[in-house]
Amino acid sequence: MGASLRAVRALVLLAGFYLLGVILLAALVGVDFAVVTWLHGPVAFKIIIVSVVLAVPIVRGLFMLRTPKGEPPAGITVTEAQEPLLWQTVREIAQQVGTRAPDEIVLIDEVNAAVAEDAALLGLRPGTRRLYLGLPLMTGLDEMQLRAVLAHEMGHYANFDTRLTPLIARGRAQLIRTIGHFHERADKKVAKERARQEKRDEKRVAKGKGAKGVDTSGEGATYRAMAKIYMAYGNFYVRATRTTSRRQELAADLASVRVAGRDSAASALREINALDSAHDFYMSSYATLGVGAGLLPRPGEVFGGLRKLLDARAEDLDDLRRELSTEPASPYDSHPPLAERVARIEALPDDGRGGQSARPALELLSDAGAALAALEQVVLTPEALALKRVDWEDLVHESMTQYVGQGAEEIREAFAAEGAGPGLPALLDAVDADPAVLWRIADRFPKSQEAAAATGRTAREFARPVVRRALNQLVTVELTGRGAARWQLSWSDSASLCYPADGFEEQLRLALDAAVADLPDTEPLRKLVLAP
Amino acid sequence: MIGLYVLGAMLLFGAFKILRGAYYIRKAKRLEAEVTAIEARTDALNAETAGIKAERKAQQAAAVVALGFVPEADLDTDNALPVSPERTAAVAAVKAGDWEAGAAYLDAAGQDWEERWQRVRPLSELAAEDDAWLLAWRAARPSDPSAALVNADTGVLVAWNVRGSARASHTTQEQFRIFRELLLKAREQAREAQRLADPADPVPYMVEQSISQGLGYSHEEYRELWSQIVERDPKNLSAHTSAMQYWSQKWRGSHELALAFARECAASAEPGELLSALPLIAYVEQELHESDLKPETFFKEPEVLAAVEAALADLAAADPADWRSIRLRHLLAWFLFWQDRDAEAVEQFRHIDGHIGAMPWYYWSPSRYVYARDWAVREVTPGL
Repeated sequence: MGASLRAVRALVLLAGFYLLGVILLAALVGVDFAVVTWLHGPVAFKIIIVSVVLAVPIVRGLFMLRTPKGEPPAGITVTEAQEPLLWQTVREIAQQVGTRAPDEIVLIDEVNAAVAEDAALLGLRPGTRRLYLGLPLMTGLDEMQLRAVLAHEMGHYANFDTRLTPLIARGRAQLIRTIGHFHERADKKVAKERARQEKRDEKRVAKGKGAKGVDTSGEGATYRAMAKIYMAYGNFYVRATRTTSRRQELAADLASVRVAGRDSAASALREINALDSAHDFYMSSYATLGVGAGLLPRPGEVFGGLRKLLDARAEDLDDLRRELSTEPASPYDSHPPLAERVARIEALPDDGRGGQSARPALELLSDAGAALAALEQVVLTPEALALKRVDWEDLVHESMTQYVGQGAEEIREAFAAEGAGPGLPALLDAVDADPAVLWRIADRFPKSQEAAAATGRTAREFARPVVRRALNQLVTVELTGRGAARWQLSWSDSASLCYPADGFEEQLRLALDAAVADLPDTEPLRKLVLAP
Repeated sequence: MIGLYVLGAMLLFGAFKILRGAYYIRKAKRLEAEVTAIEARTDALNAETAGIKAERKAQQAAAVVALGFVPEADLDTDNALPVSPERTAAVAAVKAGDWEAGAAYLDAAGQDWEERWQRVRPLSELAAEDDAWLLAWRAARPSDPSAALVNADTGVLVAWNVRGSARASHTTQEQFRIFRELLLKAREQAREAQRLADPADPVPYMVEQSISQGLGYSHEEYRELWSQIVERDPKNLSAHTSAMQYWSQKWRGSHELALAFARECAASAEPGELLSALPLIAYVEQELHESDLKPETFFKEPEVLAAVEAALADLAAADPADWRSIRLRHLLAWFLFWQDRDAEAVEQFRHIDGHIGAMPWYYWSPSRYVYARDWAVREVTPGL
């Protein structure tokens, strides 16, 4: 099959997705027409009734095809006047790839770059073309790597095989969105039914009857049957056009090699794999660490801090760069597994562009810091924007101090309930007076089944680490409260407590051991922590 | 008209179907009732048979008991031989908080290291439950080697209490973590006991033997520890049986290593030193570990027969007053039973009967012991 023929087939299949319902309806109408023509009386009437009943889910299915406009990712649209260098780069790539440049560039907060078009009629009519470009992605790539990524994305819209290619690319994107929409709707329907049945059960229980249990298996059978037909067709389409789409992916990858060089193209793919995890980790463990304490990093740093993490954890990231997934991202994804794509690119002959030096991709922006700060304004919620902004060092120290303090509150209550407290000195006095108070306190914390079943010295051994941890937490609160210890930020490790002097940590370890020993000795801990 | 015929035929056919269905349902119900009745009768017969069997079993068991053997319910599964009155008294006194009685009991063993070892465990078992007396002892005599010894051995017991006896998959991370920490601590305590002890005393090193299993000592580490023990007491039976565990396949060794160690020790021992028990232990462990080995065939292999012969000779040469020989008798009873040497087995059963907290019986429920004993007794008693 020639390239054009393949493309036409893909196009017909795509149209079939839309025509499926129409054809089914037409078939029913045809049957009814035949019935009315050749049969008369009640039999014909009955057959028509049946056909109408059958038509209902088909019509509903057709309406399901009307995918709501996807929410565009929040971002800042930058004009050519604002970012001349970026626009120039993008135009260059579009020209090299052989497609029209995007009409808009939108900077977003994801590790992603995507070209989208407001295409109508399943992609048959072109629309405004937008390039969504993630600042975290730019943070992790150099210029050539970014060029490789952009060349791949724009390559999908380039006329590699035939003039029909861009059209198919648009249609495929729409199809994936539509199928996603089906899943969403079906899930929502089931969730709604589940909620309804649970409410009913609650009522039954309240009335003293037994709960019937929740069963959503029969929910919306016709609805789901239609969804199934369309999804099955979607799967069929994906499978039937797999060779075509793989060719296009490969062609897009080749475009990125042509634009950026073999090594940059391959390393960009590896880098994105590492960046994805690094960014998730950065957002949960660093950028939002202080949120519980009402703190955010300084403007620009919410997304900008990622660079520091990438620099500090270069070695961990190397593993992620090496180990690529051999699984496709989703069943509808036309991209071959990452490992395969990289292997194919790296198998290409050396183009001599391996050693090319490139500046960080963020330098394509006229002011990266300003862009990162501006992005916060459109991406973060008003509540988040209202948080106090502090330096990273203070953010870590203040939020950790607050979290540990909150955790210590419960511990203090447990100690106080056993008459040991509220302060650390009073607690140590109580231990001196009656060592058994340590083990009684352990009973006030949650216990594992095994710990609860233990007796005698065994029970004490289960309790000892618990009490030691609790005591350590109170010591931390005491030390940070007095300013003697400080929580320290580390970009390569978790936050750690920085003690007043060298060797203090070891002394503290021994002092804590002594305080929770069988014959407790609180003296070392007093000297170390409570002495002025 | 034809339509009417067709309709009539269809109605008739439908009626036929319905009637036939009703007939089958009734028939099925009748059959079901019959099946229930038959099942009930079978159950009754089974119960009757089981009753008769149980009665016969009880009669047989009673006949064996009538010959002077201990009934299953009265078997002592904690000890390999009767508990001495001294130990009973010491345990009672310590339980009441009198640690000095415990200290005196332990020190009374003097330089009989095997005896000293035997006296540590009952005290550690008490301390693992409630160690107020031990804390008092250590507070009163901080450098008492006996207190340090009991403390270290208690540490091992407590570590195993935390670990539990469930398989690894049913043991929590918390249990494993504390288990390891406690064993490391117990090792420190054992080292402390070693420092404080009489330089000739191997017992604190024997405590470290049990720690070595849980911590997974390397073969070099273990050999180093072993040399400390044999330097002080080259023929200590308990140290040797403990080493057999380390070298067994289920711990850090293999069937081959265990058997080689056992043979080497047995070969270098004088008759009467009872180390001929070691190869028998190796065979017991191997048979337990390998599901495709059957005792009725494996225990009749020429090498096992030879090991049993050697053990019988060793036993004959041993001092009749040496209580340690009972441990060999426990093993011999089991092997002689499987070798169909029932008369010789019964002789051993007469010696060991009543207290079966010993290798190999402690691996199973007492019914296994009773089964072997009663079988051998019935075989050699005419008319039973």
